[in-house]
Amino acid sequence: MSLADVIRRRRAREFVLGLLFLLPSLTIFAVFFFYSVYRLVYLGLHQQNRYGTAERYVGFSQYADVLTGEEFRDGLRISATYVLYTVPIGLVLGVLLAVAANRQLRGIKFFQTVFASTVATSVAVASVVFFVLVNPQVGYFGDVRFISLSHTDSALRGVALSSIWQNLGLTFIIVLAGLQAIPDEVNEAATLDGYGPVRRFFRVTLPLISPTLLFLAVVLVVFAFQAFAQIDILTGGGPAGATETLVYKIFHHQQPLEQGTGAVMAIGLFAVTLLVTMVQFKLLERRVHYGF
Amino acid sequence: MSSVVFEGVTKRFGELVAVDDLTLTVDDSEFMVLLGPSGCGKTTVLRLVAGLERSTAGTLRIGNRVVDDLEAKDRNVAMVFQSYALYPHMTVARNIESPLIARKFIVDGGAPRKLSRSERRERVAEAARILGLGDLLDRKPAALSGGQRQRVALARAIVSRPTVFLMDEPLSNLDAKLRAQTRLELVDLHRRLNTTFIYVTHDQVEAMTMATRIAVMDAGRLQQVGAPQDLYERPANLFVARFIGSPPMNVIEATIGSAEGDPYIDAAEAGRIAVGATVALGQTVPAAGTRVMAGIRPEHLQIAGPGSSAEVQLPTDAGIVATIVAVEWLGHERHVICDAAGTLMTVRESSANRAPAVGERVVLAADPSQVHLFDPVTGERLP
Amino acid sequence: MRLAAPGVRPARFKTALWYVVLTSLSIVILFPVYMTIVRALSTPAAYFREGQPLYPVGIQWDIFQRAFTEGDLGRKLLLSLLVTLIIVTSQLVTSVAAAYAFTFLDFSGRRFLFFVFIATLMLPLEVTLIPNVDTIRSLGWLNSVQGLVAPFLATAFGTFLIRQGFMGIPRELRDAAQLDGFGHFAFLRRVAVPVTRPVIASFAVIAFLAAWNQYLWPRAVVTEGRWETIQIGLKSLAAARVEESNIGLAAAIIAALPVLLLLIFLQKQLIRGLTAGAVKG
Repeated sequence: MSLADVIRRRRAREFVLGLLFLLPSLTIFAVFFFYSVYRLVYLGLHQQNRYGTAERYVGFSQYADVLTGEEFRDGLRISATYVLYTVPIGLVLGVLLAVAANRQLRGIKFFQTVFASTVATSVAVASVVFFVLVNPQVGYFGDVRFISLSHTDSALRGVALSSIWQNLGLTFIIVLAGLQAIPDEVNEAATLDGYGPVRRFFRVTLPLISPTLLFLAVVLVVFAFQAFAQIDILTGGGPAGATETLVYKIFHHQQPLEQGTGAVMAIGLFAVTLLVTMVQFKLLERRVHYGF
Repeated sequence: MSSVVFEGVTKRFGELVAVDDLTLTVDDSEFMVLLGPSGCGKTTVLRLVAGLERSTAGTLRIGNRVVDDLEAKDRNVAMVFQSYALYPHMTVARNIESPLIARKFIVDGGAPRKLSRSERRERVAEAARILGLGDLLDRKPAALSGGQRQRVALARAIVSRPTVFLMDEPLSNLDAKLRAQTRLELVDLHRRLNTTFIYVTHDQVEAMTMATRIAVMDAGRLQQVGAPQDLYERPANLFVARFIGSPPMNVIEATIGSAEGDPYIDAAEAGRIAVGATVALGQTVPAAGTRVMAGIRPEHLQIAGPGSSAEVQLPTDAGIVATIVAVEWLGHERHVICDAAGTLMTVRESSANRAPAVGERVVLAADPSQVHLFDPVTGERLP
Repeated sequence: MRLAAPGVRPARFKTALWYVVLTSLSIVILFPVYMTIVRALSTPAAYFREGQPLYPVGIQWDIFQRAFTEGDLGRKLLLSLLVTLIIVTSQLVTSVAAAYAFTFLDFSGRRFLFFVFIATLMLPLEVTLIPNVDTIRSLGWLNSVQGLVAPFLATAFGTFLIRQGFMGIPRELRDAAQLDGFGHFAFLRRVAVPVTRPVIASFAVIAFLAAWNQYLWPRAVVTEGRWETIQIGLKSLAAARVEESNIGLAAAIIAALPVLLLLIFLQKQLIRGLTAGAVKG
């Protein structure tokens, strides 16, 4: 047996082994990702009857109709508004909590655990918890107009509260980890340079945790675009569709008759999240300090 | 117990030639040190022997057997890695045992087979005893000191009773004191096991103190093989001359001159060194006018000329004129670094002498019988 | 002494101030939870008659039991647990295997397949929901454990995380294993997995969290109450009549407990998993 044979045989073995190891994952991905994408595109190109027994090719007209239509625009507007309500406040609060808890004090572990605690709640649990607070009939703050779930102009803010609260734990944990990754020497050098706490925060700390914040911003935007449970539990999309985000609309377009529209909206959602994430990276890239 | 024979072994990584046409015989039971700067290919040579890399060309034999198409596990070699490569999740005992688990061994001349549990335990105990690890068998590597980890790595290597031991800079992670002690232990281990050792290092002190023979490598090529003393006294080329010895050999550009039939080495503005017809260990001094590189070890130079600059005469018959730029005091000796017309030269002298001052102009005298001559173009030692 | 004294007082004052700040923030964060507990323990009618006070009214300690008897919480919890365990186990196996192939095996097509894995990360469940539910329906898996777990049996995220861990294994350790005669399966079992156990543990915790908290997917493939997981069960329980609304709240508290325990006992793994990719160094 020559050396070339040895190498060839080993490569063949690794090829078989590699496929064997990847096969389980690839099977799942084939069915639930790649076939799905094909089906999405296909559904977008067709219209079905009420029972899903017959379908008609309509081409890209359905894409054009849905993507320029009022329903998609509404969903997108509401989803975008939801991002605005939840992400900036969430980031600021997360940084605030992390800065407050990032110090040597007796019992600080306790406060850190409390601040991180909402990570233990699911969206559904958080929604039930806020049901107690913002529900118009039984909520503790049910009659506060600014977050009233029974008015079209404020309902989304009420829902947003639960998301902000629920995300606090995750945001806190990640920002705190970012703060703790800053070497002590950097802060000590800044102090020696005569920076006070405020200037040190804006000149040193913030730039150094900016990659962490960028990551968080992307995560929170994606979360906000995917919001579903809080709306399903707190408002059911109401009042008068004022809290129907894109995902909520997609979920309610599963009947054969509406699947075409739903599929196009899903593709739209995909394009928009991808776009927003990319823009976010491009915009923030220049202002973000990487690596120390 | 086997020899290791390289015949024209070459290893390329894409464009890079890591080992270039290596022909070398490591004798049975020899302690061979592969010495060279980092990136010279010495570790690749070791990995080729281990079977962790496949050569691009050439033949490799262990014992009398061609091993090019043998898997690493079938070569009956053991390797001690620079980082020791201990399994962090296993106890010391399990680490030492690991080469015995999957491989087959020939016991008492029978067919190769896997070892039984009791045989394995016996061998682990033996290896642990040889390296004094008896008390540490239940610890994890993280709970060991650097020296202890090193010994575990050695125990793991000897437990499979290999015919060749490969060691890749095994001392580089130890502190200086422990390193000196472990050198002695390795030499002792080699003597006790009486097996072929191939040891890779960039540290010439390790090479000089432990090796039976040293193979010096640079840029993938073998430069010289020989006993430590040979390499020191007769370096085959400028690379070996400069690489072995600390502080390194002084090398100065020169031309052979002749005064009334007596040849001398003319280092232009730096001065000259009078020599007889032969120099270091019998090199013939070439004809007058030949350009050479003259090498003089620091201990073969001495400060001959006295005191202040006024007293120093310009080159007469023998002497290099230099200005002292630094003095390094090491306790038992002193390194005086001088600038001889642009070439830095080091003089090693006893600290008992009068200490020279920085800035002082001095005349350096070279021991003419200890001057090495090299070809300035090829760097090869002149005949 | 006179010089030292002025320095001490402001420092102590500052410390006290920080405690005030930290305590206030804690109160704000815990207030929703506190109110949920108050409402869960109160008898709804009595509580509202009192005008929604900050303390429980007509305490019913048996509310957590009633959540099990009247809310059928036991079945929902068990189903969630089963689904979560299947998903976590399967993700561990498939991710470890795939990560191993991408790290230690050399075969043609590896780069392309890696790209295929990356592509799946860009497709959230929300986007592929409609066709995936169709698939489950045509397999006859609506209202079934298979239907609840199928799309989550493999994950590119886990594969990347574990691959990251595998790539941290020093080359010399791999070489040593090769000299020891370990084949791929032996190396995987004896070295790669044990050495990367911290990474794998972190991933397992995160996978548990994600699977336990799932909402959209069960909501889409479950149409019968008896196949409701705990998370979607909360919706129907919370939407009950006012007199029974405290059952839903008790259920929410119970639903959060497993993850709370995770947070307390596996804090290190959880935090490492959550911060993976967020913080360098």
